[in-house]
Amino acid sequence: MSPKPSPTHTLNCRMAFEPAALERLCQVVRIRGFRIASMAVESLDEHLDIHLTLEGTRPIAMLQAQLEKLHTVVGVGLVGKVPLARSQSA
Amino acid sequence: MNGAEQILNAFHRHQIDTVFGYPGGCIMPLYDALVDDVGVEHVLCRHEQGCALAADGYARASGRLGVCIATSGPGATNLITGVANAHRDSIPMLVITGQVPSGLIGTDAFQETDVLGMTLGIVKHSYLVTDATEIDGIMEEAIQLASSGRPGPVWIDIPKDVLLQQTPEARVPPADITSGNCPDLRDVIAMLQAAERPLLYSGGGISLAHCENSFRQFAEASALPAVVTLKGIGNPGKHNPDNLGMLGMHGSRAANRAVDECDLLLVIGARLDDRATGKLDGFAPNARMIHIDADAAEINKLRAADLSLRGSLADILDGLTRAVESKPLKIDAWRHQCKQWRTTSGFSAADNEEPLAPITGPAFIRQLSRIAPDDTVIACDVGQHQMWVAQHYEFDHPRHHLTSGGLGTMGFGLPAAIGAQFADRSSMVINVTGDGSFMMNAQELATIRRYGLPLKIIVMDNQCLGMVRQQQELFYGNRESQINLDDNPDFVAMARAFDIPALHIERTDQIRRGIETILAFDGPMLLHVAISREENVWPIVQPGGSNREMIDESQTKTRKDKEQVA
Repeated sequence: MSPKPSPTHTLNCRMAFEPAALERLCQVVRIRGFRIASMAVESLDEHLDIHLTLEGTRPIAMLQAQLEKLHTVVGVGLVGKVPLARSQSA
Repeated sequence: MNGAEQILNAFHRHQIDTVFGYPGGCIMPLYDALVDDVGVEHVLCRHEQGCALAADGYARASGRLGVCIATSGPGATNLITGVANAHRDSIPMLVITGQVPSGLIGTDAFQETDVLGMTLGIVKHSYLVTDATEIDGIMEEAIQLASSGRPGPVWIDIPKDVLLQQTPEARVPPADITSGNCPDLRDVIAMLQAAERPLLYSGGGISLAHCENSFRQFAEASALPAVVTLKGIGNPGKHNPDNLGMLGMHGSRAANRAVDECDLLLVIGARLDDRATGKLDGFAPNARMIHIDADAAEINKLRAADLSLRGSLADILDGLTRAVESKPLKIDAWRHQCKQWRTTSGFSAADNEEPLAPITGPAFIRQLSRIAPDDTVIACDVGQHQMWVAQHYEFDHPRHHLTSGGLGTMGFGLPAAIGAQFADRSSMVINVTGDGSFMMNAQELATIRRYGLPLKIIVMDNQCLGMVRQQQELFYGNRESQINLDDNPDFVAMARAFDIPALHIERTDQIRRGIETILAFDGPMLLHVAISREENVWPIVQPGGSNREMIDESQTKTRKDKEQVA
C-alpha cells in the first residue's frame, strides 16, 4: 500500500540576489516541513524570481509567513490562500 | 580608512561601547584597529562561546545590542551555540567574524569554514561582505535589523582582505528605525469585556519590546489573573496579587489550572512554546484566544487565534489600560477563584527548621530571594536549579531574570552573568548554576578575575545531571544512564585557583550565613552548596503530556509505596 500523497502547493517568491539567497530559502522550506518537488529560478537585475512546487502536510500559510520574515524576500505569492483568522495590524 | 576602521566607526555612531571577543588570524585587522580606539571596551573572554553568551547576557540585562567578535573557522564555529541561544530567545545581537581572504574562499584554506551556510538557521539575517564600500551600509542595516521588530542575532562575515581594504570615509545616514502604530483595539476590548474568566498570558516579548511599564500598568488596571512563561517571569511584578506565576511543564498547579479553566486567553509577547503549553490538544480547551505579538509568523503557528494584533506593544497595552480604566472588567468571582488556587496550589517550599538537615534546592532559593536586594540580576544555567529559581525566586522585573529559555543552553549562566555585570558595573549579579552547567564554561572564571568583576557564583551541586536523572527516574523506569558527576573537581579549590574566594555549605543552618557572606564580600565570590542527589523538581508534566496531568512528589511516593508493598 503506497503512502498517502502530501498536498501540493505552488508558490512564487521574489528575493534579493545576494550570497546564499537560495540556500536561505531552501533551508526555511525544509525546516518548516516541506519538500521541494520542483524549482525554477530566474535572475532578473538584482532579484531572483523563484517558482516552487512544494509537498507537505503542514499549513502552507505558516511557511509563507516564515518566508516573508526573511530580510531579502521581497514578496511571496501563494495559489488559493485561505485566511485562518481575523488579523489586525498597524 | 580601512574596512576594520569602518566597523569601529559604526560602533561609535550607535553608542556601542562594549564588545566581547577573541582574536585570531583573519580578524586581526579589526583587533589592530582596536588598539587605537578608546571608545570601545573589548572584553576578552576565554572561549568564543563565552563571548557570544556574554554578549547575550549584556543584551538581556541592559536592553541594548550585544556584540561579539571572533575569527574564522573554529572562532566562528565556537560562537554558534551562543548565537543559536540568542536566536531562540530573540536577543538583539551583532556577530562579526573574520573570514579567509576573498581569493581563498572555497579552497579549503586554513581556518576556513562556510560561516554563511552553517549559520542560516540560527540568525535573523547574515551577510558575507565582498567589498569594503559595503561595510557602512551593512553595519547600519544589521544593527537596525538586530534590534527592531522581533529582535535577533545578525551575523556579518568579513574576509581579511576586505577588512584591510582602504575606502574613502562615507557619510552614513542614521538608521531609520520605525515603530508600529496602534491597531484598532475595539474587538479586543469587546472580547475582554464579554469574558467571564479571562487570563493574561505574557512572555519574553514584553521586555524585548521595552514595554515593561505599560504591561505592568495594564496588569494592575485590568486586575486580570496572570500567568507567565519562563521568559516572562517578572512581567507582573512580585507584588501583583493576581500573578499565578509560571505555567507549563514545571509551572504551578494554580497557573496551569487557570489556563485550563479560562474562557479567554490574552497572549502578549509569547509564542506558545511546547514547554509552556504541554500537549496542544489539551491546552486552554475552553478558551478563545487573542494573540498579540511582534512577529506575524507566530500568529496561528501552533494554535489558531480568534483575534490577532500586531503593532507597538506599548501602544496596544496603553490603549487597553485606558479602556479597562474607563470600564473595569467584571471578573471578581474569577479573580477570587484564581487567588484561592494561588494560595492552595501555588509554588511552596517549607523552610527546614532542623538546623543540621541537608539543604534543599527550593528552600535555598527562597532564602536567596528574601536576602538578595530587589534589583539583583540572577543569571541561571540550565537544569533543576534553573526551575527552582523560576519557581521560588520572586522577581520584580523581567530583566532581573536571565535564563536560556528556547535553546536550554547549559553553560549559559556564567558568561551571561559576566555580560550583565558589564551592562551595569554597580549592580548585584549572581550566577546560580549547577555542577553540570558550571563545568561547561568554567574557563570564564579567568574573565571575572581579569576584569575584577564583583559577581557572585552559587553552584548547587548534586553530583549529577539532576534534570536528566529525574526524568530517567520518572519516565525511564529509573534506569540511570550517564548522569553521574561524582568525580567533580573541588569547586572551592578551583575558584581559589582563579583568585576567587569560595565557601562550602551543606547544612540548613549554614544557608543564611553563606548567602550573606558572599553578598557582603567586596569582589567576586563562589558559594558551593551541596544538595541531595535524589531531589526532584515538582510538579512536572511528562514531555508531550497535557498540563492537566501534572505529577507531584506525593503521587510518586504513593506509587513507590505500592511497589514496595507488592
